[in-house]
Amino acid sequence: MAALLRSARLLKCLPSGLLQTKGTIRNGPPLSRLYSGAIGGKGTGVCPRQLVPGPCSVHRCLWPYAGLRHYAVIPEQKGPAKDESSLGVRSKQAQQFDWALAKLDSSVRRTGRVTKTLLMRIFHDICRTGYPSGNQALLLLRSCGSLLPEVPMAERSELARHIWDKLKELGASYDASHYNALVKVFLQNEFKFSPNEFLAKMEAAGVQPNRVTYQRLIAAYCNAGDIEGASTILGFMKSKDLPITEAVFNSLVTGHARADDMESAVSILSVMKGAGIEPGPDTYVALLNAYAERGDMEKIRQTLETAGSTDISLMDRDLMQVVFSLAKAGYHQHVPSIVDLMRHERGYVPDAMNLCLSLITQGHEDTAFSVLKTFPTLQQENESGDSNNLGNFFLRHCVNMNKPVEKLARYCQELQDSNCHAAPLQFTLYCCLEAKNTATALELMKIMKEQGQPIRPHFFWPLLMQHVKDRNTVGVMEVMKGMQELGVPADVETLSNYILPAFPNVAVARDTFKEMGFSQGSEGLLSSEVRFEAASGNLSRLLAMLSDPSFSALDLSNFRSSLISGFRMSDDVGTMTKITDLLYKDERFSLGTTSPAEGVSYFLYNLIDSMSEAEVQAQEEKLRQYFNQLKSMNIVIPVNIYRGIRNLLDSYHVPELIKDVLALLDGKDALNLSDRASRANGLGLERKLAELKAEGKPVGPTLKQLILSLCSEEKLDAALELKSQHAADMATGGYAALIHLCCRHNNVDEALKLKGELSHKDPSVSLDSTKSIALVKALVKHDRMEEAVDLLKEMKEKDVSVVDTAVTLLFHTLNAAALKGDVAAVRQLQATVFTLGLTKPTANLCSPLITAHLQTKDLSGALDAAMECQKQYGHLPRIHDVICGLVENGDTELLQKAMDFVSQERGEMTMLYNLFFAFMQTGRHREARKIIETPGLRARAGRLQWYAEKCVAANQMESLESLVEMTAKLFECDRDEMYHYLLRLCKNTNDWRKAEATWTKMQEENVIPRERTLRLLADILRSNGQEVPFEVPEVWYEQAAATETQPDTKTAESSSFKSASSHSATEGNTSTDLQLKLLILCKRGKAKEAYSELKNMDRKGEALGPSPYSALIRALLAEGNMEDALEVQKIATTHIPHFKLNDIANSLLIITQAKKNLTKDALATLKSMLQADQVPSKLSITRLVQSLGSHGDIAGIQDVEALMKGLGNPLNLSPMMFVNNTAIARIKNGDLDSAVEGLEAIYTSAGEGSQPASMAFVFRKVLEEKNITALDKLSAMAERLANHFASYGPASDLFIQLMDAGMKEEAKFMLARCSAVAEQREALVSYMSRLSRTPGQVGKIKALMSVIPDFAEKDTIYSCLVKSYALDNDLASAKALYQQMQSEGVEADELCLKRLAKLYKSAGESVPFTEPPESFKFYAEKLKEKSNKSQLNTAVVE
Amino acid sequence: MATSAKKIFELFVSKVPWTLSSKEMKEYFGQFGQVKKCLLPFDKETGFHRGFCWIGYTSEEGLQNALQKYPHTLEGATLQVQRNRKVFVGQKTNKEVPEES
Repeated sequence: MAALLRSARLLKCLPSGLLQTKGTIRNGPPLSRLYSGAIGGKGTGVCPRQLVPGPCSVHRCLWPYAGLRHYAVIPEQKGPAKDESSLGVRSKQAQQFDWALAKLDSSVRRTGRVTKTLLMRIFHDICRTGYPSGNQALLLLRSCGSLLPEVPMAERSELARHIWDKLKELGASYDASHYNALVKVFLQNEFKFSPNEFLAKMEAAGVQPNRVTYQRLIAAYCNAGDIEGASTILGFMKSKDLPITEAVFNSLVTGHARADDMESAVSILSVMKGAGIEPGPDTYVALLNAYAERGDMEKIRQTLETAGSTDISLMDRDLMQVVFSLAKAGYHQHVPSIVDLMRHERGYVPDAMNLCLSLITQGHEDTAFSVLKTFPTLQQENESGDSNNLGNFFLRHCVNMNKPVEKLARYCQELQDSNCHAAPLQFTLYCCLEAKNTATALELMKIMKEQGQPIRPHFFWPLLMQHVKDRNTVGVMEVMKGMQELGVPADVETLSNYILPAFPNVAVARDTFKEMGFSQGSEGLLSSEVRFEAASGNLSRLLAMLSDPSFSALDLSNFRSSLISGFRMSDDVGTMTKITDLLYKDERFSLGTTSPAEGVSYFLYNLIDSMSEAEVQAQEEKLRQYFNQLKSMNIVIPVNIYRGIRNLLDSYHVPELIKDVLALLDGKDALNLSDRASRANGLGLERKLAELKAEGKPVGPTLKQLILSLCSEEKLDAALELKSQHAADMATGGYAALIHLCCRHNNVDEALKLKGELSHKDPSVSLDSTKSIALVKALVKHDRMEEAVDLLKEMKEKDVSVVDTAVTLLFHTLNAAALKGDVAAVRQLQATVFTLGLTKPTANLCSPLITAHLQTKDLSGALDAAMECQKQYGHLPRIHDVICGLVENGDTELLQKAMDFVSQERGEMTMLYNLFFAFMQTGRHREARKIIETPGLRARAGRLQWYAEKCVAANQMESLESLVEMTAKLFECDRDEMYHYLLRLCKNTNDWRKAEATWTKMQEENVIPRERTLRLLADILRSNGQEVPFEVPEVWYEQAAATETQPDTKTAESSSFKSASSHSATEGNTSTDLQLKLLILCKRGKAKEAYSELKNMDRKGEALGPSPYSALIRALLAEGNMEDALEVQKIATTHIPHFKLNDIANSLLIITQAKKNLTKDALATLKSMLQADQVPSKLSITRLVQSLGSHGDIAGIQDVEALMKGLGNPLNLSPMMFVNNTAIARIKNGDLDSAVEGLEAIYTSAGEGSQPASMAFVFRKVLEEKNITALDKLSAMAERLANHFASYGPASDLFIQLMDAGMKEEAKFMLARCSAVAEQREALVSYMSRLSRTPGQVGKIKALMSVIPDFAEKDTIYSCLVKSYALDNDLASAKALYQQMQSEGVEADELCLKRLAKLYKSAGESVPFTEPPESFKFYAEKLKEKSNKSQLNTAVVE
Repeated sequence: MATSAKKIFELFVSKVPWTLSSKEMKEYFGQFGQVKKCLLPFDKETGFHRGFCWIGYTSEEGLQNALQKYPHTLEGATLQVQRNRKVFVGQKTNKEVPEES
């Protein structure tokens, strides 16, 4: 054994060592690996022996808190506008992965575990999309191990195998990483399998095992104590010249121990040392576990001591494994002494929770409870003053695992006694109820009752609920029996909502109760009967019951809603009145605090409120009679109720009824009916005023324009000349431009002179901030500090607001001085700017002072300056550079000072990171490692990114590798992100060997790569002519971009076809090749070609798997080629009898059928989809409904609407879509009146503030079809809604559609009739911004402006116009607009300026202003944030 | 529209423990003034209530009394009590008037 080890090449756990890993090990025939049948047919992939509840080897870092941070894999689509549906299909997969990842990630992040429900949901969703990607599969497989502590191990392994088989069936292709993940999961689940057979299966599938595979298979043998087997694998590794890592040694420790050879186990440590590998924490954990399995506490103590003395620090998580081993081996008594050793590091609680859950799952709940009791009770005083609830997770899992009630009761008692939990029994009961565990729930309630706690009827509802749903009367009776035993009779509510519905009718229930000897129900039954009679509209029987003097008291609220529905369906006004009268006068029906009269008044209001508009209109006469009869009975209602009813009736358009209700009012009340006052229209006046203003024609603007154009051409002298000629007509703008130009030309004197002239002319005028700072910069450059400071002061005096570009300029000014090492100047300027408050001190603005010190090599001064900045402004600029300098110089005293300061000001964590990066930067990796391994340190993604980016930019591979390696165990570190940095650098240096080694390393660490990581890796390998040993995620958007640029496409295609054809040349035309070829063609949008290829194949009698057929059908449908798609389906069905289209394909089919006007077929497709439990896409439903609408098929639309309502998971369809299309259908059928009626009802019944969505679609359709009659009716409706009901949506929709259709005159008329449209600012602005998103729409915006000049703020309109001009590439108009903005004093925001600047530049002209330095995105987001903020502010004010 | 006529002095109570039913809520909040309305919606799927509740007083005084007390502790649990800001749920969205017990 030892000889074997020594002869093998060794690998130290250093990243540089990894470089020697041979990159050739994975060179197998790739194609056969991609799509061939392989291991994993049920029961064949692995060899399940019996599950031995044997010792376990829990691996360190099971799934490290791998930060699987949510990451947008899909950048915004920039390719050519394609059919929405096909794009949707392509992006869906990537989005889904993203979603699943984020979902699992947040679970792992919060709790270190995943629930089975969540995992299954994601699995189900992935299956449904049809074609799972490689990393979706990896993600699912990896989650089937110790991340599921709540699931028994056998079940976990079964789940993993189920997922493996299912995804394979769906066409997922497996590579080494998947096999490795599967072994890992088997190890975690202590699943017994034959490693040799596993290897054989892998090789049969054409997947080459790699170092990680061998390591894990060795672990599998070792866990079974099979040293022989482990040696065989070691032999393989040796023959392949693979390095032996620490992990292998650790397994061997376990292996020898399990083979009952502790001596050899211990000796492994010295073998390791001999081989140059230091035993790490995992080695000691393996040894500790071995002792734990023997219950040898003495040895455990010794080992811990040894580890401690060799500077190995074991984390709590490591000790938890020892606890687990002890418990499983039956040495519960030793657990407390290990638990005592734990340091309660950060992350202790989630880890310990998972330990407890695992223990409970494995039947060691008592041990789990003893761990639970050591939880820090931090929650003792949480700020909200809530009571403690430590142990909820524990109790819930005990309930779910069906632990006996006695144990539950004991745990609850102890938790309560130790003040850990305020109400443990209630919580446990809650869990039982949730789990519908009737027996345990009843037992618990008995215990609670003995303790004097109340048991209430609604405790039983969750139990009854299920039985009622199942109509399970036996179950109901069982619960009722429990209720009786507990002395809790079922009250009315329980009876009528949760018991009686399970029975066919009240009589059967009564009989059953009698049979069972329940007396409790009688009273409740009575009121249930009342409800029943009322709800069924049997009013005369109800009246008889209620007026019976023996009828016991029952508050109206008990049967109000039933009574209302009874009244609504009854025509018996006489009885209605009598009942009302009875309620009005009889005290028995108002047990509550309200008086009978009041109760009845509310009842009337509720009655009307519950009826729909149409209902009230239909029953107007009945209601009138009812009110009149009430009047004759002398029933009176209070005024507020009258108002409520009046408003309801008003909104239902039955104003005639109001006076009948008014009659019920207590005579004297006078009412002020407030009319909807029509708004005063001040628009006309304003417009006139603007026109008059435009009449005057001063010379100034022209002069200014000339000066500006000279300035933009940098013709300083000519501009100055022009100025002196027309000094009298010079305006401020001209001066400003000239001064700016002088600064640029370094002519400070002239600039100051001009400034003097300007202020002489108009002392109140001031330069804007950018120009002022530019002047300051010029002055500082010429060392004219005094004047610079004066200018800054003047800015303050004149209250110049400093824009962001000016701040950037200011930074450049300071930095220029700093780079000269002029500390005094920097200090003076900084102090002036900050004390004047011209701008806020930012880290950036503070940094020049430190730069100046560093420039003069004055580290002490730099540190002091940085500390000063922190004290004064709360910023610590360039502290990294300062600390690096101190580390470099070895100035421990100053370093200590710096660290103390940072720690005090920014906290210990920041200090540690600062020190860490300084050590990294200066190449002191040993020290850095010590720092990053500080217990309790957690990942700060931003800081790590900062340093990694530095490394990538500066090409520092070694430093970056160390960073990645050192952070492996850092809490919450996003491992994929870290490896991605590394791969990026590999890409930059084109180092494929290192890239491949990185991939192996990722598998070892169990990192699930995101798609972009895999793509990057594949890219590096491919560009170096290497095989890519995994399936590369599809990059649809790049391909979309590639098809746009023709030459690229050709090269890309030819290369990919070359690779495809070269494979077929070497390996012959196997069906896998053809499958791949088909898939490639489909993905490239060459469906036709693929189709003829498939037909060829079919002629030759070759059959394929389901996924290429499915892909081809989708591709054909995406092109709208339904005939061929159906043909492919036929072919597929001949080969695969149960072949079915998946969700996407069926959705596409619906769209195609709808487009081809085959609406009946489309509807049939939808129905068959729903029957097969598939979910259609939103777009397919929309298209289908639109098509039904344009065919006038109202029934069809109703059908679809009903179907969608029945769907468990609604697609978030707008109800308006159905309404609009129903209206279209009615119009199509010539039934204009009902179309209008239907739409109007929607708008009038909507409450205030909840405006229904737009009906623009209807208007657009009508306009498109030039259906004048319909348009007239609809516009009349829109105006009616606006003028009488203050519902402006339809009117503004119509107005906008008219404008959009170019019917300006009609729009104007409409505006005249319905002036409120002009005030629908939001709708108009959103229309405008919609316009500004597509080119060539300037005319429409202008038209809108001419019809309603002031529909929005000027800056909003102008910025939209600029955007439009930018899209149209219309520099001339944009220039004119910009001038207009300047003359009108409208400030252009940065995004606007940025757009303008781009226009100028693309026309090859110089930009006459300072272009905002940041990106478009930056400013867009800034604006968004600003508007969000202002919205928030207004919200607060409201 | 209807809101103007309906001057209701309403509390919105959240963090209601599952063990309480509207009966207990009504009793407890009744100590501050006459309670006209107590709505504790139950989830028909689970059989548990949703953890929040509306209490309507007949007068501003009752509402103020309730708002002035802090904390509201009922059977060991602290209720979160605030003035109801939204329109009463039963009014627009829910055309059916809930039965109260």
